[in-house]
Amino acid sequence: MSIQVLLGNEAIALGLVESGVRVATAYPGTPSSEVLAAVGRFGERMGREIYTEWSTNEKVAFEVALAASWSGLRAAVAMKQVGLNVASDPLFSAAYTGVRGGFVVIPADDPGPHSSQTEQDSRLLALSAKVPVFDPSTPDEARRMVGAALELSERFSTPVLLRPTTRLCHALQALALDEQATQQAPVAPVGFRKDPSHWAATPRIRYQLHLELVEKLRQIEGLLEESPFNRRQGEAAHARLGVIAAGVAYASAVEALGELGVAVPILKIGTPFPLPRRLVAEFLAGVDRAVVLEEPDACIELQIPDRSRVFGRLDGTVPSAGELSPEIVFDILHRALEATGHTLAPLPDPVFERHIAGLPLPPRPPRLCPGCGHRSAFFALKREFGPQAIYPSDIGCYTLGTNLRAVDTFLDMGAGVTIADGLYKASRLTGDRRPILATIGDSTFLHAGLSPLINAVHTGSRFVLVILDNHTTAMTGGQPTAATPSQPSQRQVSIPELVRACGVTFVETASSYEHQAFRQVLRRAHDHTQAADGGVAVVIADWPCVLHDPAPLLEHPVPVSITQDCDGCRYCVEAFECPALVLRPDGSRVDVDPAVCVDCGQCIDACYKGFIVPRLAEIAPSL
Amino acid sequence: MKHVSPAPETRLILAGLGGQGVVFATRLVAQAAVALGWPVIAAETHGMSQRGGSVLSHVKLGPYLSSLIRRGTADVLLAFDPNEAVRALPFLRPGGVCVVNAEDGLGYDLDAQLEQQAIAVHSFPATSIALALGSTSLVNTVVVGFATALGCLPIPQGALRAYLEDLPPGRRERNLQALEAGARAAEDTLRISARETG
Repeated sequence: MSIQVLLGNEAIALGLVESGVRVATAYPGTPSSEVLAAVGRFGERMGREIYTEWSTNEKVAFEVALAASWSGLRAAVAMKQVGLNVASDPLFSAAYTGVRGGFVVIPADDPGPHSSQTEQDSRLLALSAKVPVFDPSTPDEARRMVGAALELSERFSTPVLLRPTTRLCHALQALALDEQATQQAPVAPVGFRKDPSHWAATPRIRYQLHLELVEKLRQIEGLLEESPFNRRQGEAAHARLGVIAAGVAYASAVEALGELGVAVPILKIGTPFPLPRRLVAEFLAGVDRAVVLEEPDACIELQIPDRSRVFGRLDGTVPSAGELSPEIVFDILHRALEATGHTLAPLPDPVFERHIAGLPLPPRPPRLCPGCGHRSAFFALKREFGPQAIYPSDIGCYTLGTNLRAVDTFLDMGAGVTIADGLYKASRLTGDRRPILATIGDSTFLHAGLSPLINAVHTGSRFVLVILDNHTTAMTGGQPTAATPSQPSQRQVSIPELVRACGVTFVETASSYEHQAFRQVLRRAHDHTQAADGGVAVVIADWPCVLHDPAPLLEHPVPVSITQDCDGCRYCVEAFECPALVLRPDGSRVDVDPAVCVDCGQCIDACYKGFIVPRLAEIAPSL
Repeated sequence: MKHVSPAPETRLILAGLGGQGVVFATRLVAQAAVALGWPVIAAETHGMSQRGGSVLSHVKLGPYLSSLIRRGTADVLLAFDPNEAVRALPFLRPGGVCVVNAEDGLGYDLDAQLEQQAIAVHSFPATSIALALGSTSLVNTVVVGFATALGCLPIPQGALRAYLEDLPPGRRERNLQALEAGARAAEDTLRISARETG
């Protein structure tokens, strides 16, 4: 037995391994990305035979894991919340077909949002799909809920969601680890058993399955009334205020009430759906008013039939967007307590905080790393086609190309290609002649770019698609893709061959680090979109992620310096936007920050006046 | 060396820039506390905000449920950059302590506000110390060594050393030296302030 500090995502992984999960799949996405690799690590350390894979997208990951469940194995799939949109088709259907081995779906929500397009609530998707959902408050509880979720899944033959949020996924907690613990896989792995009444159910049978599903949920709700994850805390006497709380907001509420020095009853909800409605009704009967704290939307609150004494998101007591930070939870509770006649110490004057908020601190927006090949590709695109061209893009590190004004749109995974396709079609009607240059990452292309590309080729669209190939899924920490196998049993899928097979006749690969040559390829690609027999042109911009594979950079370092002639015109700072190029506070000139610079030499082309030079030339100037 | 006996409950904020090793310092403190048998819960920054932006970690030693520290309630702030220190100052409670890597203080005139809140700021040139050891990437460990030796962080140096001993060779020696160098800088500070007051 040892005590270890585990990330919330690692605690979930530990719960999966301890509960005998045999197949785990995922597509990386913040804040969920650390779950899968940790399943592999714990499985190895605890001597379990577990199959894990980074699937090409979330729908694929869901279905691979579901088939394992249909084969009698316990299985799990992890993704970020928008990944569940991609996998929602199998989710809704699997609620009807049911499962055999316990099957837990782990979509990580991102209130804030910190690293996502939306603040959507996966619990509401669970409610809509009629699938039970667990809502943990701490890493420790998430670990324990995994086992409960798998047992519920098996007992009622239903997929079960475990829904963590960013602050739980990325919390660290000291947890006890028993690596010697041996647990039998609860279901004998007898393999796939044919059962057309479930796995191949026709619409007529689906009606029957729907009735069964509703009955299952009724029974599950009864069971969850007694679950230790749903419990009332505090004295039984009638109270002026009660708090109903779930997830991370529960932890913040408990601490805020401790700091406020007020004991009020709390109803902790661990299963927002099916909601233990009797427990909630009994709790509400014992309080004059109740505040509901949950993230990121109103799931519990919506299911309370009489909300005349219930305050939450629906009446504006709780903000309708953004994260429930400890400050906001404290503030809501402070106001609710005062409104219900509690006497509290006055809040401290935030004059200090206001003073600091007024200081001219340098803004620190996220930026592409120094040496990133995406920056070079974006810079070349802008130099070749200018600010008038239209630049649709996609989801990944390269979304930060907005800083270089080389990204005009991003919507969801794969939309870089489809939006380019749609913009071209619209331009035929509006008479817009501007070139369209779309960008998409290698992993995103494999995730959701193929069907859009087939559509664009098939329907005769004309635009340049630049696949920014950095050989990894970089934003989420460097997970492998189908084009970069990570295990001996895996095969490499070739991106250029895929593109050709989609019917694209112009496919060229070029290093984004070779500025002039890369620009020439871009120009030829654009010419192809204008030619009589032309169409979609694909350029594969090839340079490995400098964090994931710095070797090429280290082999050929190009240290630079900026000559005395620099006049602080800001062009490089704005158009190239490298964190290592720093404009002096007085605006007089730009310096290279040696602590940040990685000697890629890519900024030499970013000064059109020629003031950024290789350091070698400075030492031995040509005569 | 002066050592403050461990406070049972400590709320610590670590602030820096992407690439400065805020996450490593968070793990260092958390693992060392766990080795002492203390309950720990902490919060890290991941994802898009890791790309060169401000990075903030919360570490809570003691029986806490939430991983996050509410503004105005942190006991200690360790900052690897003066601007990030100023940005994170509102997390400190009145009477809290800030340890910051800076050549020349916080860079803004905050004396009146700091005095009003009774917040002590210890600034020292951790970057120069780290550079003398060969790399700016050691700033994080230098700052942690400084803070513990100064008594701002209730974790014995031995527990931190034990964690660093488990690092791969190379990184291990460099980080142990950095911890030691940070502690020496703190002792110099303590000596100077003792001379001034004595």
